[in-house]
Amino acid sequence: MSATSTLALKGQNKPSARRNKLNFHMVLNRVFIILMVIIQVYPLLWLFITSLRTEHDFASGNAFGVPHSFTLENYSRAFQAGNLGQYIFNSLIVTFGADLLIVIMGMMAAYAIEVLGFKWSKIIRMLFLMGMIVPTQIALVPLFIDYSQINLLDTRLSMIIPLAGFSIPMSVFLFSSFYHYIPRENYEAASLDGAGPYRIFMEITLPLSLNTVVTVVLVNSIFIWNEFIFGNTFILTDGLKTIPLGLQNYIGAMGNTDWTATFAAVCVTITPLMLVFLILNKAMIQGIEGGASKG
Amino acid sequence: MLPYRSKKSVLIFILPPLLLYGAGVLLPVIQSLIISFFDWDGISDMKFTGLANYIKMLTGDSVFWQSFGNSMVYLVICLVLQLGGALLVATLLTGMTKGRDLVKTLYLLPAVISTVAISFLFQRIYSVDPKGLLNQALDAIGLHSWTHAWLSDPHTVLAAVSIPEGWRFSGLYMLIIYAAFMSVPPEIEEAARLDGANGWQLFTKIRFPYIRPVWITTVIMAVTYGLQGFDIPYLLNNGRYGQLVTTYMYRTAFSNTNYGYASAISVFIVIECLIAVALIFKVIFRKEEA
Repeated sequence: MSATSTLALKGQNKPSARRNKLNFHMVLNRVFIILMVIIQVYPLLWLFITSLRTEHDFASGNAFGVPHSFTLENYSRAFQAGNLGQYIFNSLIVTFGADLLIVIMGMMAAYAIEVLGFKWSKIIRMLFLMGMIVPTQIALVPLFIDYSQINLLDTRLSMIIPLAGFSIPMSVFLFSSFYHYIPRENYEAASLDGAGPYRIFMEITLPLSLNTVVTVVLVNSIFIWNEFIFGNTFILTDGLKTIPLGLQNYIGAMGNTDWTATFAAVCVTITPLMLVFLILNKAMIQGIEGGASKG
Repeated sequence: MLPYRSKKSVLIFILPPLLLYGAGVLLPVIQSLIISFFDWDGISDMKFTGLANYIKMLTGDSVFWQSFGNSMVYLVICLVLQLGGALLVATLLTGMTKGRDLVKTLYLLPAVISTVAISFLFQRIYSVDPKGLLNQALDAIGLHSWTHAWLSDPHTVLAAVSIPEGWRFSGLYMLIIYAAFMSVPPEIEEAARLDGANGWQLFTKIRFPYIRPVWITTVIMAVTYGLQGFDIPYLLNNGRYGQLVTTYMYRTAFSNTNYGYASAISVFIVIECLIAVALIFKVIFRKEEA
């Protein structure tokens, strides 16, 4: 008690010293934050700047300087050599297909577990939740074998099934923790009006879930759009490859011969998602933060 | 529970998701377990060998143990960069008044970039000829003797493949921890500050204990992801040194087509994750008792 009051008095006696100290802290705080942001962002900036350099400028210039001249020629070379349009199309199909499954199946499972309720619901819930810590690598060998037996190897579905399967646990978790907060009275009132489980799902649960749907889709789309290991294992045909696989192809073929065009190709592949992120960043950040405070 | 629900309606809602989850996750896990007891190259007949794969893995395979050691180093580097960086930036961010959203967005940016693009980027950053970003930076500050081929030197390759993964996800964990910090009631912090607590005390005595539940989730996430780390080490490093358990398993399966042995290694990765989660809970539980 006495210690605190002397401290408080000291503070009152030397307001200017305290303010100086505060300012010093503020400046230090800023400097550190700016430094950390530079570490996160500068490599990406370097990537974009290099993609705009001429080959000569890149070979002779230094990495930190601003290029002497900008050129878009690297981009035209990247587009000529790569099959970019096809890759983007494949990525869209795989992402859309997997997202659709993750959302619908996640909602259905959460509805059965949290709202309908049944004898084994606790065990089924545990079974789903356990999936959150199962490493994806364990599915590679068995799925590769299964797919080759049922002729599913080298199809878009071969990527969609495990991608959706491994994302369902998180989806079930998010939907069921949300359904937990929907007041029981809503359902009871609808039940009294004669609504069965299907109508209640379509008319009450589904419309209320839209915010969670956005979170689930945003988080999973990033993961699926960038996915590498399933595609790398199951997809062989160039025409079925998604963006990361196509990019890896391009890097393998051109990476050591045409440096600046490869930088351009990388920039082309990361730009769509980065733009989506920069536009939707509020929603995404809120999704992650919301998930954190619930967890 | 709804008053009017039939068994049929429950089945209609729960069966499709269970089937998909079963086909994508549960069945492969069981199949891996079974294949791990066989000697199989995918073409000739499967030969049952009992525990031979596991015995070979645990007692007779020095490459496996080397890659296990590498995986642990990889995990530690990822945790320090991800969680350390996340705690630091989240703390600094709470002291800021303007521009928080901008910092959050920029800091999270690497998390939306594919591992293929990140691997390419870091390959160029580490590059020697022509000199990449890192070697040029070392030259610029006068450390010419430090410049070298980071990815082909056995001493540096492991750190070189770990850093990009730490860099990539630091923003994700920062956001989670920052959101938790913001949920600490300002009255508690104000009271502590009036009692003369300095910044460090505020952090260790008030903020950090308050966000412990979120911190536990974050640590579990970071540890299990770290143990599964694959893409960047696989894409950046083709050499003998610096392989992880996951990349070793992948090469055993798809380069050497030794499915039985690879399955045993992948079962090991699952068990590793389960043990890690159990250990985290145990440490927490002991702290709670003390």
